[in-house]
Amino acid sequence: MEELDLLKKVWQKDTYKNEQISEVEIYKMLHTKSSSIVKWILIISIIEIVLWSAIGVVFNTDDAIKSMHAEDALIYLKVLTYVNYVVIISFIYCFYRNYTKISTITSTKQLMNDILKTRKTVRNYVWYNLIMIFLCTILGFAMAFIYNPDMSVIKEKMAHDQSNWILIKIILILGFVLFIIIGAFWLFYRLLYGILLRRLYANYKELKKIDL
Amino acid sequence: MSDNLEQIFVKQLKDNQNIIHKICRLYTNSQDAHNDLFQEITIQLWKAFPKFRGDSKFSTWAYRVALNTAITLYRKSTRNVATISYEGQKHFLPQDDYNFEEEEQIKLMYMAVQQLNDIEKALVFLYLEDKDYNEISETLGISEVNARVKMNRIKGKLKKILNP
Repeated sequence: MEELDLLKKVWQKDTYKNEQISEVEIYKMLHTKSSSIVKWILIISIIEIVLWSAIGVVFNTDDAIKSMHAEDALIYLKVLTYVNYVVIISFIYCFYRNYTKISTITSTKQLMNDILKTRKTVRNYVWYNLIMIFLCTILGFAMAFIYNPDMSVIKEKMAHDQSNWILIKIILILGFVLFIIIGAFWLFYRLLYGILLRRLYANYKELKKIDL
Repeated sequence: MSDNLEQIFVKQLKDNQNIIHKICRLYTNSQDAHNDLFQEITIQLWKAFPKFRGDSKFSTWAYRVALNTAITLYRKSTRNVATISYEGQKHFLPQDDYNFEEEEQIKLMYMAVQQLNDIEKALVFLYLEDKDYNEISETLGISEVNARVKMNRIKGKLKKILNP
């Protein structure tokens, strides 16, 4: 292509004399902060991990269980808590390993791959937590139903209820609340990472298309 | 020790800054954005500098980091707004070798290149820098054959932009 080669000819001789930057200016730049998406992903991820781990610590269920006299269920919860810690630590480890692998000197495709991988780890962590919330809510409800003396009124009512309408109502309310919580989180993450990673995804897709 | 490294880096970067200017001009459409991207690339180069062994030329090494920053790490959208870029004020041909017709042709070509997407620009950039397909494929992480095929398609696309 003639015009492209014409451009190529002048391209290499271009001196950019109006844009030349001095050594002093370069020194200054070295001490400014990066605003790359990797940095943002790191910051957001750390906030997410801390936040979700904090939720687990703050919502201590031991007292509630004691007040319900459900000590025999306590052992299961203890096991669950320890399993949870192991899972959190392995997520943090995976995230850290993925993060340190990000390097600007690899190929563009590899770099994008590595960035998306760290992102995926955190996303999985969030999903894990949402599923845990889901399970714990159901478990908590079931336990409350079995052990909590306050529930006996409802139980009695249900015993007289032929159509199971009360049970259906409870399940519906529970399902709705969970749906709203999980939906809100899902939307929030879509927006957050959608804004942050839109360009990266587009370019990644474009690169993959070339290699099809 | 680290002061010394900083000195070496700053000197190398100053001598090779045109590579970065070329990428910034290709990927941004205002002087502010140009400076912003230049700064981000500088930071990324400095971060990666300890891994620079010196077995390749500084410029060759800088291509990758600079391109990767422009395509992957840079957060602000660099999509072109379809206005006449500030390239309009720039002259490509040196004064003593000025030819109006040729200058116009080059300008139009450059504006056509600016309309390509980020990945296509990267291929064109490496092509204009006279890199062979082996290096292009390694830099972008695609196969050599596909890099060649894609480059031919881009040439076709550019032709279409120039002669709609």
